[in-house]
Amino acid sequence: MTLSTISITDRDHQIAKLSAIAVTLSLVEFFFPSPIPGVKPGIANIIILYTIFKFDIRMGIWVSLIRVFVTSIILGSFLSPTFFLSLSGALFSLLSLVIFRNLNSRYFSLISLSLIASLAHIFGQFIIVRLWIIPHNGIFYLLPVFIVSAFIFGVVNALVTNKLLQLNPKK
Amino acid sequence: MIKKILQSSRLIKPGDWFIIFLFCLLIVISAKVLWDLPQGQYLEIHKNNEILATYSLNQKTKKQIHGPKGVTEVIINSGKVRFSSSPCPKKYCIHQGWIQKANQTIVCIPNQISIYIVGGKRAYDTINY
Repeated sequence: MTLSTISITDRDHQIAKLSAIAVTLSLVEFFFPSPIPGVKPGIANIIILYTIFKFDIRMGIWVSLIRVFVTSIILGSFLSPTFFLSLSGALFSLLSLVIFRNLNSRYFSLISLSLIASLAHIFGQFIIVRLWIIPHNGIFYLLPVFIVSAFIFGVVNALVTNKLLQLNPKK
Repeated sequence: MIKKILQSSRLIKPGDWFIIFLFCLLIVISAKVLWDLPQGQYLEIHKNNEILATYSLNQKTKKQIHGPKGVTEVIINSGKVRFSSSPCPKKYCIHQGWIQKANQTIVCIPNQISIYIVGGKRAYDTINY
């Protein structure tokens, strides 16, 4: 019999804490009624952005994916279309963050990053919707509405993240 | 106060304005491309998945259609069309209001009648009103 020990690092604790906050924000958002169906502010992404800027991109990926899985298990939507929509949105925005995270910080702040990620999120979801859930071109009629909401919430989330980073400067 | 504004202006860097500009451009272009449907030219009335009749939209008339629940009335008013009366209980079809662009539809499930607006792309010469 072999005893396997898992050593828990400080980093794991940080990931767990941040994921817990992100999951809580997702749940709050879920119970909050939205004026337009399907348009959500995505306040959990504040935590993801914060994690990426305060720590690093790998930790951001962990927190984001843990958030998607845990939220879906709590809400009972695990492996349902909702879950895959949220997973695809998260994966696409993470991919865009991986690609664009090294933008020159002299010319670009996290507002750019947040906007790019929110746009990638919308496209990730639309690809899943078009290919699988509603395979009809009519859904593109809704795209401008979602791009406008991505713009508004991308800027708002970036401003909140910025404030959070000012309150907790990088060590 | 001025200090605050300066701080916030330092937060938004030149590249951000560029990204914001690109984003606004994307919004305008997507709205233009995706929302600019061509005006419809013909009205197709379907009953139980079969084309019952096709009418030109360039007229002002009322059409009565007999469905399984009773008579549904459709108003054509030079380019646009709506349900005006229907025997269905919830009147969703009436509340849809006017439609005028190609590919727009209104469906009345209880009375099994649906109306489709089609553009000028498909040829209509034999069954055209």
